[in-house]
Amino acid sequence: MKKKILVANRGEIACRIIRAIQELGYTAVAIYETPDNAALHISVADEAVWIGDGPRCDYLNIDKIIKVAKNHNIDGIHPGYGFLAENPHFSQACADNGITFIGPTAEVISQLGDKVTARRIMAEAKIPMVPGTDNLPADETEAVKMALEFANRVKYPIMLKATAGGGGRGIRQVDNDAQMKEQLQIARAEAKAAFSNDNVYMEKVVVKPKHVEVQIIADQFGSTVHLGTRDCSIQRRNQKLVEIAPSLIKDQKLLDEICETAVRAAKAANYTNAGTVEFLIDKDMNYYFMEINTRIQVEHTVTEMVTGIDIVRTQIKLAFGKPLSFKQSDVRIRGHAIEMRINAEDPQNNFMPEGGKTVTTYRSPGGYGVRLDGFVYQGFTIPQVYDSLLVKMTVFGYSWNETVDRLRRCLTNYVITGPKTTIPFYLQLVNEPQFQSGDFDTSYLENHPELLEYKDDDSEVNKLAALIAEIHHKGFNPYAA
Amino acid sequence: MNRIVQGMNIKDLLKTVREADGYYITNTARDMSQSDYKNRILLHTDLMAAKEREKAGYFSLEITGGASVHVDILRKQVDPFLKLKLLREAMPNTMFQTLCRGVNLFGYRPYPQNVIRFTVKEFAKYVDVWRVFDFMNYIPNMKAVFEEVQAAGKILEPCICFSTGPEHTDDFYVKKVGEILDVTGEDIVLCIKNHGGLGTPKRIGDLVSSIKNKYPDLVLHYHGHNTDGNDIGRITEAVLHGANIVDASDHSFTGFYGPPPVLTVMQTLEGYGHKAVTVDAEAVIATSDAIRDQRPHYDIFESQFRGFLPTVQIHKLPGGAMGSSLEQAEKGGFLDKMPDILHKELPLVQKELGNYWSVTPGSQILWTTAVSNVQGGERYGNVSGDLRNLLLGKYGPFPFYKPAEWIYEKVLGADWQKVLEEEGGIEDIEDMDIDKERKTLTDRIRRKPTEQELVLYLQHPNDAVEFFKFEAKFGKVYVLPPSIFLKRGGFELGEDITFTDHKGKGHLISIGPAQMNEEGETTIYLTVDHHNRRYIMAAEQKAGVAAAQSEIGKEEIEELAAVGDVRAPFMANVCEIAVEVGQEVAEGDKLVVVEAMKMQTPVLAKIGGVVESVTTKVGDAVKPGAKLVKIKTGNEEKEGK
Repeated sequence: MKKKILVANRGEIACRIIRAIQELGYTAVAIYETPDNAALHISVADEAVWIGDGPRCDYLNIDKIIKVAKNHNIDGIHPGYGFLAENPHFSQACADNGITFIGPTAEVISQLGDKVTARRIMAEAKIPMVPGTDNLPADETEAVKMALEFANRVKYPIMLKATAGGGGRGIRQVDNDAQMKEQLQIARAEAKAAFSNDNVYMEKVVVKPKHVEVQIIADQFGSTVHLGTRDCSIQRRNQKLVEIAPSLIKDQKLLDEICETAVRAAKAANYTNAGTVEFLIDKDMNYYFMEINTRIQVEHTVTEMVTGIDIVRTQIKLAFGKPLSFKQSDVRIRGHAIEMRINAEDPQNNFMPEGGKTVTTYRSPGGYGVRLDGFVYQGFTIPQVYDSLLVKMTVFGYSWNETVDRLRRCLTNYVITGPKTTIPFYLQLVNEPQFQSGDFDTSYLENHPELLEYKDDDSEVNKLAALIAEIHHKGFNPYAA
Repeated sequence: MNRIVQGMNIKDLLKTVREADGYYITNTARDMSQSDYKNRILLHTDLMAAKEREKAGYFSLEITGGASVHVDILRKQVDPFLKLKLLREAMPNTMFQTLCRGVNLFGYRPYPQNVIRFTVKEFAKYVDVWRVFDFMNYIPNMKAVFEEVQAAGKILEPCICFSTGPEHTDDFYVKKVGEILDVTGEDIVLCIKNHGGLGTPKRIGDLVSSIKNKYPDLVLHYHGHNTDGNDIGRITEAVLHGANIVDASDHSFTGFYGPPPVLTVMQTLEGYGHKAVTVDAEAVIATSDAIRDQRPHYDIFESQFRGFLPTVQIHKLPGGAMGSSLEQAEKGGFLDKMPDILHKELPLVQKELGNYWSVTPGSQILWTTAVSNVQGGERYGNVSGDLRNLLLGKYGPFPFYKPAEWIYEKVLGADWQKVLEEEGGIEDIEDMDIDKERKTLTDRIRRKPTEQELVLYLQHPNDAVEFFKFEAKFGKVYVLPPSIFLKRGGFELGEDITFTDHKGKGHLISIGPAQMNEEGETTIYLTVDHHNRRYIMAAEQKAGVAAAQSEIGKEEIEELAAVGDVRAPFMANVCEIAVEVGQEVAEGDKLVVVEAMKMQTPVLAKIGGVVESVTTKVGDAVKPGAKLVKIKTGNEEKEGK
């Protein structure tokens, strides 16, 4: 019988997963909360199930989703990213109910989700790591003592991190002893509030690192391969905006070594399905393990473009017990890919989300080497209650320069009106020489505030048309009365 | 040819005019727009006329000043400086002329000296001829503008405002001319400013003769209005007696209260052997042909009364104020009382208030006083702040005689003599901190303003900011013709609208359907340059809600005021709030100042107490009876306890 797969997510990633399901000849079932009732993932799915008014609570409700899955005879669930993707209870609930969870096992998610446990596993496997600590003792005096000792050994700056944190949240930088004493308590309180877990640990700060990660994929039969590197150094407040594959570091031997390390790390964790091993690389080209993300990532598209491997399709097949159909030696990296997250945000207003606005014009670029993973359409009103990602634009090119040229062309041709978007900001970026040279690290955006200095691109005719619409609507010109 | 071109120095210019075998004509397009179209003629139309007007060989084109600077930003949504710049590009030779109200600039109240000088400096970059007047013919009120115009090397054209009546003798005016020349020196053009179009042709001929007898070399510019239909007669007499320059405009747009047609002036004077030396009649005709088809789009701005008003000789309202006065009468629902107001009350008020010159802002004082005298029941019972200032001498001394004591008493109160002594006389207005204003403007528009934007802001702070915001939102809308910009009743479904934007790019907008949803929001579908777009219009306020809040009678308003519930006395805009919540006020204290017809009126406390609430804000348009301020009285408190 035709398999039925439920996508426990929304937005562009739900659409992405639904495509893979349908390509496999399976039935794709979407779920949605009320604010998403005009969302594209509902209409592209074969079936759609309303799960509640939300917002952001029904998509997180394990019991409800499992119940829906059982009612609809679901064979497997793909969690996407965010929401329940890295919640071990969800993976476990699927297993307990005889539903295939498309991702790693609950145990792996749980171990790797706990940063301290993850570090312990990696330390045992001799994976190079940023000097760091275990969870700090609960006792305040002891914790401070331990923190200061650590700082004395590895030198400031140091990061205080929430053990249960992730995605750039729950992180605080500390620059001296005085701050350490003060910030420790705050970090704990914050961690408690945000993740219901007040454990924190410390790591030395790698100054101005490059963020390089490795896509790995493993079947249930011990075969683990990597799909090369991605560079995600262009970040704003630890949130990635632009991702490229492969990393532009010229030292191929180093990149190979990093990839092999990633495979070792995945194996050490008994990893199955797709995952990402993140590393920081300092200016002397030392690399340090950061964490393993146990989900499909936003930026997986760049890897797909340069390897030709459909990661989501592979995920589904592996989850249903198929072995990997390729070996490490089959994986070839060809050309370059850049992905940009086009968000409904106003970069000039501190990247303030533009949710609630209606997309009045939507014209997307196309042609050779262009891939769009989005969920907006003309007339779509962006729900205010979810994230602001509208569409990921991934472009592919044979050389880096060609890829950047293509990116510029696509950004210029992209027309989205209604909400403000990050497109004009990205246009500034592609024209910036350091970006064009491919040499950037995580301090890039901080060092280029001029990227935000662009003129609102709402064209003159659109402004005039807005007045004409008003004159037409009112039956007179209210500004000339 | 003796053509006057932009950039000539004043001595050469005056020499050319004096030696010319004939007279010159100024095309007063601005005055025509103000008098016959409530100032709404768009830059788009002026640009259509530009090529032929340039060819026509006028002494000058009067195209800015008067109320137009304000209306440009308020109703036409065009930058008055950009307008001049664009017209200059289209008309490189023709001198541009402005009308400046002296110390009142292009507004209705005196400005600080540094603002006057800054404003004149900026406008002088585009304006060649500066016609400057003061409604009291009080020369010190014009001095700062005189100085700046001369310093900028531009043509200064001081005015003697003209009116009729026993005091308005040739001797008086000749003496005034002398006073002006004492201040300006002889290198000026002198304007006889007949803003009402008053007097018989003979009266004007006599006046010109008298001035020319005393000052034979003085270049005279006669300015009139055609309100009674006979300005051609006055112009003819003026020229026959030695006037060098006269005012008229394009016949396809001439109406009733503005200038007469250029071509008729030329034809008439030709019969007397006088030639408009540099004017090309062909180009004059071509101008009218070029813009004729635009006139119907301005229909709604033409006068409520169609036809000449020879009764102007009685009521003396200036042509530039006729349209707006009639509009106010229509909106206020007292159009039927106009005969009473115009033919009885206004002439009486005119005499009672010293028979000064009925021109801005003095004409507004006469008009609002006459209207409130007729409408309010009790004469001088409801006094505008500006009338008070007039009696206090803030605008300058009365030229002929002071109003009667009973009027002072009515306006200033029982102890009017003391008030007059303490508050009377022209005030030195303190200089404005322009740098501080620049910072304020920067904060308000979130970018650095240009110096010209600052000038506009200093003239009309709120309206300028609104205009800058409008432009940021809707772009350069002067590119839209009146058929679009002033369109009434909506467009046809499927109608194609074409226009060229300010960069010269052509555009096509097709009108699509409109859909209203349950919440009353309307979505307008347009095809903009072949792309579909939607524009969402907020729901209209339910009809009746706004009406229900107001429209209470005058008596009721006064009764409410007596118990501390202060309401708007008439339809007006709130321009100042003088109190804040919690403040103690005494009877007679100023609470709010409202403005209607450009005249400000303070709303005073009828009862002492503590301000409990302020339910209006500066800029609000209020209807009669709208709540403004609530005063809690001591009595109430006692009762409550």
